Amino acid sequence: MTAVASRTDEPGVPSLAARALAELAFEWVKLRSVRSNYVTLLIAAIATLGSTVLVARAVSAASAPPPPGPLTALSASFLGYAEYAVIPVSVLAVLQFTSEYATGLISTTFCAVPRRWAALASKAVVTGACALIAGELLAFACFWLTQALLSGRHRGVSLAQPGVPGAVAAGGFVLCACALTALGLGAIIRHTPGAITATLAAIYGVAALCLVLPSQWKDDLGRFTIAFAATQVVALHSQPGLLSGAASVLVLVAWPAAALLAAWLVTARRDA
Amino acid sequence: MIELNGLTKRFGQVAAVDELSFTVRPGRVTGFLGPNGAGKTTTMRLILGLDVPTSGTALVGGHRYQQLIRPLRQVGSVLDATAVHGGRTAYDHLLSLAVSNGIRHGRVRQVLELTGLDSVATKRVRGFSLGMKQRLGIAAALLGEPPVLMFDEPVNGLDADGVRWIRQLLRRLAADGHTVLISSHLMSEMALTADHLVVIGRGKLLADAPTQSLTEAGARADVLVRSPQARELAELLTIRGAAVKVEQDGGLAVTGLDAPAIADLAAAHGVAVHELVPRQPSLEQAYLDLTAASTDYRASTGPRSTEATR
Repeated sequence: MTAVASRTDEPGVPSLAARALAELAFEWVKLRSVRSNYVTLLIAAIATLGSTVLVARAVSAASAPPPPGPLTALSASFLGYAEYAVIPVSVLAVLQFTSEYATGLISTTFCAVPRRWAALASKAVVTGACALIAGELLAFACFWLTQALLSGRHRGVSLAQPGVPGAVAAGGFVLCACALTALGLGAIIRHTPGAITATLAAIYGVAALCLVLPSQWKDDLGRFTIAFAATQVVALHSQPGLLSGAASVLVLVAWPAAALLAAWLVTARRDA
Repeated sequence: MIELNGLTKRFGQVAAVDELSFTVRPGRVTGFLGPNGAGKTTTMRLILGLDVPTSGTALVGGHRYQQLIRPLRQVGSVLDATAVHGGRTAYDHLLSLAVSNGIRHGRVRQVLELTGLDSVATKRVRGFSLGMKQRLGIAAALLGEPPVLMFDEPVNGLDADGVRWIRQLLRRLAADGHTVLISSHLMSEMALTADHLVVIGRGKLLADAPTQSLTEAGARADVLVRSPQARELAELLTIRGAAVKVEQDGGLAVTGLDAPAIADLAAAHGVAVHELVPRQPSLEQAYLDLTAASTDYRASTGPRSTEATR
């Protein structure tokens, strides 16, 4: 933090890089200076790890090994994570914009950083980086916990197996993708309840709708949803009818990209 | 220096700011006056690039606000002092703004001391009174030592001490060569603080003049007359060439005749007079006259007709 400020404290016209660093530091100070952000993250981590243990124990206690399909030994690691990490972190991401609109602080933000795209980009980088770090830590913790509990029954998988490290890392990225989708929706909708509803709809609702579609459409449309794609990236073998793991990662990039692009278009033109 | 040129903002059919042109110069406090809903806040939001003008321009130091590099070093502003995150401390709020514009960290302590907030710097803003939030807003505005300062209703929520403090602060800043624009709907406050006044109503410019000359030119002296036979007296006065305006409480505001002449006229016709008060022009009256036609929200004037016709 000190390094950033002293570098941008030079006289004269600052370089683009110095301005970008200052704008990132702005968002970082705002993010780290609100205690409820830490509390929410901590509770999310506890709930995620707790539910992961419960799922792992249930899988481990089952008399038969898990059937082939979505619930593999690997994806069982992420059942708790898929809700107890994704929902709170997405809500935090929504609040990055909506709490500023609710208090009026957004005017101050845009006075400090008048280029709206730069304000949006710095929020996205800071929120996205935090969500990625939290996601990777939690994903690997969930994996390790689950496999530790399953290995006693010789049903676990290990990081040494091909494809496993990539799958766990991709599972961590899911949190970043959801957070950035949420951030974009927060910037567009501006009101907290509406933006949270839209975010939950984007992450879970669209996929839930696809599940009740006639079977020939279910996978055709469902494979482009966040929830289906997230299941695919943590599965070692892609299910027939769905996208491959790599293509599913692209789906997980496309959702936040679309949300942020729309947010940029809307925010640039609108009265703050 | 702030320059407005034909600045217009329409919300649908309504022009909140209508072809507004004026210049705010350095070295003096400029009061920006108008009734509620006159467009003061919208004008300030247009200057800060928060709202997009329908037409016209607003320049700060010759540039549009969006073009400013490190704008907090050019313009300090407080639009809404309550617009802070309650979970953040005063220090962190100011620190975030300092790093955003490459302002040295030591400046945060300085503005906290300057605004008398140093003892609550590490307290979360949630517990601040409106007056403390106003001080925090002013601290944020002064953070980048900007040459231009713009405050929307800065004395709202301040106690008598606070009002005096901000008045002295604004005058000192202006004396140091800053450009200072403060909005208010309170004429009395501006009379004490501002050297120059810009008055708007319904988004249109009504006056742009030194405070002094506005007092002298705007309002004329009149005489307040109360009589149980107000209607009769009003007719007599009008015949004599006076202008009579019935006030809300039934009193007659008479111009064109002085108090002795009114008293003599009433006595000659046997009309009782209960009150006869010569009134000096005031800045308050000058302002009310200027804005009378442009007030959007006015209290109902119901009781007046029954009194006057009796």
